[in-house]
Amino acid sequence: MPTIAVEQIKERLKGKIPKAADVVFKELHTKEKYLEVFYIKSISDEAVLHDKLYKPFFEQQHPDEFKNYLESIPQIKSYETEEKTINEILNGVAILFYQDSVLLFDSKVDRNNSVLDTTVETTIQGPQSGFSESLPTNLGLIRKRYPEAFLNVELTTVGKISKTEVMILHDTRYADPKTLNKIKDFLSNVNIQMFQTGEQLLDAIKKSNRALFPVMLVTERPDRVAVNLATGKVILLVAGSPFAVILPTVMKDFMASMADIYQTYWVGRFLLLLRYIGFIISVCLPGLYVATTSYNPEIYRVQLALSIAGSRNAVPYPSFIEVLLMLFMMEMLTEASIRLPKAIGPTATTVGGLILGQAATEAGLVSNIMIIIVSAVAISNFVVPINAFSFSVRIVKYFILASATFFGIVGVVIGFFIFIAYLVKLDSFGEPFLTLVQSKPHKE
Amino acid sequence: MRTIGNWRIYGLVFSAVFLLSGCGFKDIDKRLFVVSIGVDLAKNSSKKYLISLKFAIPSASKDQPNEFSIVSEKADSMSEAVRILKTKVDKEIDFSHAKVIILSEEVVKTSGNAGIYYWFPRRRDVQGIAWVAIGKPTAQDVLNVKPKSEQLPSNAIFLALGKDGSETPYIIPSLLFDFKYRLIERGIDPILPIIEAQKQIFEINSVGLFNKSHMILHLAPEETKMLNFLKSKEEKSAIKLTKGKTTVVIDTQQVKAKYKIHTPKGKDPYIKFEVSVKGRLEETNRRVTNNQLSGYEKAAEKSLNKEFEDLLVKIQKADVDPLGFGIRYRSRHFNNDDWQQWKRIYPKITFKVVTKVKITDTGLIE
Repeated sequence: MPTIAVEQIKERLKGKIPKAADVVFKELHTKEKYLEVFYIKSISDEAVLHDKLYKPFFEQQHPDEFKNYLESIPQIKSYETEEKTINEILNGVAILFYQDSVLLFDSKVDRNNSVLDTTVETTIQGPQSGFSESLPTNLGLIRKRYPEAFLNVELTTVGKISKTEVMILHDTRYADPKTLNKIKDFLSNVNIQMFQTGEQLLDAIKKSNRALFPVMLVTERPDRVAVNLATGKVILLVAGSPFAVILPTVMKDFMASMADIYQTYWVGRFLLLLRYIGFIISVCLPGLYVATTSYNPEIYRVQLALSIAGSRNAVPYPSFIEVLLMLFMMEMLTEASIRLPKAIGPTATTVGGLILGQAATEAGLVSNIMIIIVSAVAISNFVVPINAFSFSVRIVKYFILASATFFGIVGVVIGFFIFIAYLVKLDSFGEPFLTLVQSKPHKE
Repeated sequence: MRTIGNWRIYGLVFSAVFLLSGCGFKDIDKRLFVVSIGVDLAKNSSKKYLISLKFAIPSASKDQPNEFSIVSEKADSMSEAVRILKTKVDKEIDFSHAKVIILSEEVVKTSGNAGIYYWFPRRRDVQGIAWVAIGKPTAQDVLNVKPKSEQLPSNAIFLALGKDGSETPYIIPSLLFDFKYRLIERGIDPILPIIEAQKQIFEINSVGLFNKSHMILHLAPEETKMLNFLKSKEEKSAIKLTKGKTTVVIDTQQVKAKYKIHTPKGKDPYIKFEVSVKGRLEETNRRVTNNQLSGYEKAAEKSLNKEFEDLLVKIQKADVDPLGFGIRYRSRHFNNDDWQQWKRIYPKITFKVVTKVKITDTGLIE
């Protein structure tokens, strides 16, 4: 028969958790024994409860036999404190009251544990599946790719309301303990109410050190995570998000695609070179156009100078307004095509890109060359493989454009210098942003 | 406080950079590009020169060819002319694409034109890589020629002088920076190609040699070719030679020339030229077989030696030095009076030319 202590716990728990539609309190009876189960239906797996609990309850006659059974199955934990128990109930654990004991039965439902295809960082070859939205599945995916005893997993929670589980993974041999401490400090100081996904950390870090460039990499690829673990990086897995966060991240990580290691050596190098060229083009080209058409046309060959002059003849505005106008249109298009449903996307691009560009030239609003430049900028911007980084690059070109408008070629050069200086100044959890070779961990 | 200090420094740097921008913001369509500049002597006027600028007028669509207009002004100096020309056109005159400077024959034959010559290198917007040439009969005539193959005003001259287009040994192009260097430097004299304007085409096959201030020697086309060989600047050429009744033309693939100035003690100084020519037969009026080739090589060597020596003596007689013997001598003799020495040596120096001709094949399969 239930003791008074158990009875008290039961009453208090019932009092703490208000009667909601999905709160279940069940009593099970047989001749010999009596079991009470308390759980929240929507976050507990009732199939598990049925298989592991109800069935044995009715199959095993003897009360002690059932007690032994309960103590032997892995889902069972014993009651510790009331506060913890409430948290557990809210996470989908069922509370059992059997005889004179209170037991916690792990019946958490694991939804969204199907592995998703990669959609953001696609590669032609190599693994095609990404993370799922379930934390244990994600950890499993990483463990499978990284079967090392040195893989350390720590669990914390982030978010005042959401109390999202976050796993900190690192290889104890390679990860720098100083960096690890910095990251833990950062996580404990993050001031977010609802923590849903790792990308939010990008915003959170800006509060302390407002950086134009992301200093952590958010990825959906387990293979990228595994490779980065082996280079001593720290990985954050967030419950409910199919993205992992890799820290610390420097520029070369943002410019690397997983496809690089799935290609032959020279092809990989070529693609890397292509990306850096694209990066520089997308940063400098609008500025260079203004500088060369309005300050230093002697840089062009005479044929090009005349053809630009010819196509600009009908344009009423100075070159920098022309560039701003077109870049603005392009940004709009890019933004719009992200938001649009997949079915309408191509239409918008056609309407925007082709017709708008053509019409703008016909109307004499912009020159032909400008269209080429804007499309070159837009395309080369997407050569940068990591999205968060290419968004940042999009902003930098306006800065260089501004300095080119005021100072011509000198402005482009100085603007680019300041940009590089800024990158040099940046660091990601102690790792300089322009690091080319990841430093070895400091051995004590 | 620290941030305010920082912003002050940024502000200072920012405004300092403002000074670097050079010429101001002016859109490309508000500029009028000069493609070539012509300098003539003014006729029936109190002013000395007639300066003509050839402007390229960009066409809005690529279907129409680019037009040009020539605006001229009489003036005593280049700067004066340009200032007045600015009042005749609607857009800012931009010299940054003025790639050809044409001085008329009359101008280069008179001395006292230093003001004009040095105006070009002094201007920052006239590029150092502009070509300088002599226009015949007048510079304006040369500017007015519009060859049918030309897509862009003056492009025909650019292509010919720049050797982007036709490659011929009859043209010795001269760039502005080099022209200025040759005008100033002791021991090397300017050479300018002569562009003769005909109805719809140019003829560029001779050069004028300067003795610093003005042109004193005019070389015929064949002599120009020989001079070009000695400068080792052009390899695609043809050498015609006659041996007995057979006339053959050698298509040269490689022409190399090097020389050394010998000043043996107690003996007369001489310049030894070594020229090597490699090529194959292109045309013969009689059958020539492979084993006859060495005979033709000998004949070619003999005739080339003579032609080279004749040309060198002709240049020496005129007391000009387009190949830069003087500067070569000065670079290898470290005396204070090396220039005086060279001036004594040059008129009586002798030339020894050794030509090696190699005819690789007859061009036909036997």
